[in-house]
Amino acid sequence: MSTPGSISPVEAGPADAPTVPGPPRYGGLSGMVARHLRPAPATGLTRPLVLRGALFALVLLGAGLAVPYIVLDRFWIGTLFDGLILAMLALSIGFLARHLGLISLGHTAFFGGSAYALGIAVTQWGWSPLPAALFGVLAGTVLSVVMGLLVVRASGMGFLMLTLALGQALYQFSVQQVAIPWTGAYDGLQIPFEGDFLGYTPREMMAGGVFWPVVWIPLVLLALVLWLVGRSRFGTVMEGVRENEERMRFSGFNTFRPRLIAFVLSGFVASVAGVLFALNAAYVSPDTLGFLKAGDALTAAIIGGLGFLAGPLVGGMLYIVAQSEFNAGGNLHLYMGIVLIVVLMFLPGGIVGMVVRGARRILRRRSGPSAPDGPAGLEDRAKDPFVDEPAAIDPQEVAR
Amino acid sequence: MNFAQVLNGIALGSLLMILSSGLSMIYGLRGVTNFAHGALYMSGAYVAYSVSTNVSFWLALVVAPLVLAVLGALLELVFFRRLQHRSHIETGLVTFGIAMVIERVIVLIWGERTLGVSAPAGLDGSTSVLGVGYPTYRLFVIGVALALALALVLWIRRSVTGLHIRAASTDVETAAILGINVDKVSLIVVCVGAALAGLAGTLAAPYVSVSPSMGVSILVTVLIVVVIGGAGSIGGAMVAGMGLGIVQTVGAIWLPSVAVLVPYAALVAVLLWRPAGLAGRKA
Repeated sequence: MSTPGSISPVEAGPADAPTVPGPPRYGGLSGMVARHLRPAPATGLTRPLVLRGALFALVLLGAGLAVPYIVLDRFWIGTLFDGLILAMLALSIGFLARHLGLISLGHTAFFGGSAYALGIAVTQWGWSPLPAALFGVLAGTVLSVVMGLLVVRASGMGFLMLTLALGQALYQFSVQQVAIPWTGAYDGLQIPFEGDFLGYTPREMMAGGVFWPVVWIPLVLLALVLWLVGRSRFGTVMEGVRENEERMRFSGFNTFRPRLIAFVLSGFVASVAGVLFALNAAYVSPDTLGFLKAGDALTAAIIGGLGFLAGPLVGGMLYIVAQSEFNAGGNLHLYMGIVLIVVLMFLPGGIVGMVVRGARRILRRRSGPSAPDGPAGLEDRAKDPFVDEPAAIDPQEVAR
Repeated sequence: MNFAQVLNGIALGSLLMILSSGLSMIYGLRGVTNFAHGALYMSGAYVAYSVSTNVSFWLALVVAPLVLAVLGALLELVFFRRLQHRSHIETGLVTFGIAMVIERVIVLIWGERTLGVSAPAGLDGSTSVLGVGYPTYRLFVIGVALALALALVLWIRRSVTGLHIRAASTDVETAAILGINVDKVSLIVVCVGAALAGLAGTLAAPYVSVSPSMGVSILVTVLIVVVIGGAGSIGGAMVAGMGLGIVQTVGAIWLPSVAVLVPYAALVAVLLWRPAGLAGRKA
C-alpha cells in the first residue's frame, strides 16, 4: 500500500492500481458506504416492489412465529428473544448508517429513555402496561425529535461525538441524586406491572417463548417499513444527502428535513425496542442508557453488515448468541473486539455482505459471462477506484 | 470558596490536558479518533501498579510510558497505516474494537478487582498551600503536567520534528511532496501520544482507584475536551482540558447534580457556536 510519504508520479501509473489514493480522507462514513456497503438504489415505490416486499415479510413473519415451537429449550428461546431486542436497536442504528452515512452512539438514549418512561409511568402514576408502553414509545420519539434538532446538522465525526455526548448526558443524569425517586440511580427501577398487556399477564411477558410474537411482529413490520422508506422517493433524497450533502443543497433541496425525519424514524424504532425490553425484563437499569450498550448495538450492526437491512438483524442475533456462549468467561468483548477489527479491516460489508458477495459470485459463474448484469453488484464497485462519484439524481424527477 | 477544590480541579484538568493533547495529536496527524486512548491510559495505570508495587513508583514513571510507546508503535504499524485511506469513522471504529480487546486483556492479566497504588515516600504527606493543607502528591501531578505541557508546546513550536508534525497535520500530501517523511512523523506522534496516555495513567494511579472501567469513564470526557478544543489543535485541547477540569470540580460544590452535565452542555454549546471547536481549523 502506498503512503502519502511515497506518492510519486511513477507509482500512480495504471500498473500499480491499488496505489491510487482512495476516496478523500475527510469523507466521513460516506466513503465506507460508497465503496463497500451501498444499499440497493432507491427506485421509487412501484406496486410490484411493495407487493414483493410485503409477500417476503409475510413469509418471514410466519416462519419467525414458528420459532418458539421449534426451540423449546427455555434458556435458548430466552437468548434468542434478547437477540430480537438487540437486533431491533441495531436495525435503527443501521438505518441511519445505510441511508445517511451517519453513525450514532446515542441511540441508547431512546432505547433506555423509553424504557425509563414506561417504568416511571407504571411506578409513579400507577398506569397499566399498555398505556405505559405507548407513553414510553411516545417519550422516546419526542426525545429523538429534540436530540435530532440538535445533531442532524453535523455529519461524520461531529455527529458521532454529539450523539455520544447527549446519550452520556442522559446516562449521567439518570444516576444523579436528584433523579433517584424517578430512576433509582444505579439500583435501577423495578417495574411491578399490574394488569395485563395485550392479554399477556406480567408472568407471561417475562417468558421469552410466550412473549415472542409481540416482538417478532413489530420487528418484521418495522423492517418492512424501513425497507420501503429506503426504496421510496424519500430514499433517493437520503441517498443524495449521504453522497454529497452540499450538492443537494445547491440543487435546491432542504437537506435538514430528510435527515431529521430519518433520525426520528430510527429513534422511534429504538424506542419500540426499549419498551419491549422493559416489558420483558420488568426492570430498567442505567446500563440501558450507557455507552457500552450503544457500543454493543453498533458492533452488532457492523459485524452483521451496515449495507444491508438484514445486516443489523443478523448481527444482533449473533451477538447475543455469542454472549451466551462466551460470557461465562467474561470474554465476550475480547472476541467481539477481534471480530469487529477483522470485519472493518477485511470485510467491510460485514457477514451479510460476505454472504451476498459469495452468492453473487456463484450465480454469475453458473449463468456464464454473457449473463445480463443485474443491479450493479458490490464487486463491481470494489474494483472501481472512482466509486466516490455520487449516484446521478435528477432533482426534477425527485421533486415531482 | 474552597481553595482545595480549585486545586483538585487543576489536578483533574492536568490529567485531562495530558490525555487530550495526546489524543488530539493522533487525530491531527492520522485522522484517527482514537477510542482506544482510554484503554491506553488504563494500561498505563496497570503497568504502573505492577512496577511500583514490585520495584518503585519512580521507575514506573519511566517504564509505563515506554511500554505504552511500544504499544502505540504497534497500533500505528498494524492498523493506522493500513487504514489511512479509509474514512475517519472506519478507523475510529477499529480503535473501538482495539479498546474492547485491550480492556479484556488487562482483566485477563490483572483480574477484575480494583487495585490501589500508594504515593511514593516523600510525596505521601500534605503540604500547606496558602494556609490550606493539600496532598503533596496532587501538587506533584499538577507540577509534572504543567512541565509536560510546556515541553510539548516547545517541542511542537520550536523543534524541526515539531515543524514536520505541524506541516503533516495541516496537509499530509503537500508535506509529503515537500520531502517530509510522513510515515516517520506519524510513528513518532502515535508513540508520543500513547506514551502520554501511559504517563497520565501512571500519575493518576495513586489517587484514583485502578480498575478496568477507568478507561471508559475518562474516554468520553477526553473526547469531549478534544472536540471543544478543536480537533487536531493541541493548544486548544490543553486549554479546554484545564478549563473543563476546573469547571467540573468547582461546579460540583454548588450544584452537584448539574456539574456532571457541564461537559456535555459545553460540547453542544461550542459545536453549535463554532462547529470546528474553539481552535479548530477545518469544519
